[in-house]
Amino acid sequence: MKDAALDRVFSALSSPKRRRMLDILQERSGITIADLAASFRMTPVGVLKHVKLLEKAGLLITRREGRVRRLYFNAVPIQLIYDRWTDRYSGFWTARMADLKERLESPGARRAGTDGNPSVDSTDASESQVTSQTERTRRRA
Amino acid sequence: MPEVLTATTRRVFKIDINAPIEAVWKEITRTDAPILCFFNNRMSLSRGGLVPGSKIAMRSPDGKWTGVVGTIFVCEPPHRFGHTFRFTNLDDPECKVIYELKPGKSGGTEFTLIVEDLAVGTKTAKQMTDGGTMIINTLKSVMETGKATFGMRCLFGMIKVLGPVMTPKVCRSENWPVD
Repeated sequence: MKDAALDRVFSALSSPKRRRMLDILQERSGITIADLAASFRMTPVGVLKHVKLLEKAGLLITRREGRVRRLYFNAVPIQLIYDRWTDRYSGFWTARMADLKERLESPGARRAGTDGNPSVDSTDASESQVTSQTERTRRRA
Repeated sequence: MPEVLTATTRRVFKIDINAPIEAVWKEITRTDAPILCFFNNRMSLSRGGLVPGSKIAMRSPDGKWTGVVGTIFVCEPPHRFGHTFRFTNLDDPECKVIYELKPGKSGGTEFTLIVEDLAVGTKTAKQMTDGGTMIINTLKSVMETGKATFGMRCLFGMIKVLGPVMTPKVCRSENWPVD
């Protein structure tokens, strides 16, 4: 992936609104610009500006199907960025650590942590577990 | 009997490949060697060959195991190739896989993979969503460098070693003839 393409991806992802648009597209593949605009209480013209930026970065694909234009999330540029800095070995551990963080920081886990031991913040608990996981990884390596 | 309606979805993956359209077409439709971007599987076709109506099977390089079966429904060289798709180890409904190739900038190819009729919530939907990026990134790597990415080569090695032990018997190729 060339630097100019990388810049376009990071620039597109720098906006919280555009990141939210990709979240919506991942959940509702193939929605129209009007549907997307309704999710943001924006006009289709307002959304189109963001759609074009995402499309230019390769993160979004528009396809004309009959009379409507449908939008699809394209994860390929993100995978290319991942491949550039991650090999199979580190990918295995980072995926496990990311899973652990997500599990421990989910609302359910936070509640369970507080109920079970009021003096321990589950965020701290997750960080300490992630740290110990890192420690284990380092020792194995 | 009332028709059972299943929610389906479509996924689209797109990439620019720095290789001529004919070369990319040849790579995704070859039957003479394993296709690296299809997880190093070898494509077997029924006697009719690469035409709509022919049956297709994706088999391990030694031919003993079959991971995917389907029927070709569109074949327009070198622009469009599509077949139905079913994992042999799953009872999920069939989906459709379509490869679209367009001439890209400076002699390259704009390659799009479309997966249609994915039954929401099935293992097939998850595997195809995760696998789509791997397929087209590997295709790009193979076409531009002549080999799969390091990660994929490791994966092929693991499949070669663990495949015979881990693959369920239902995937044996004798259960999935194409003729």
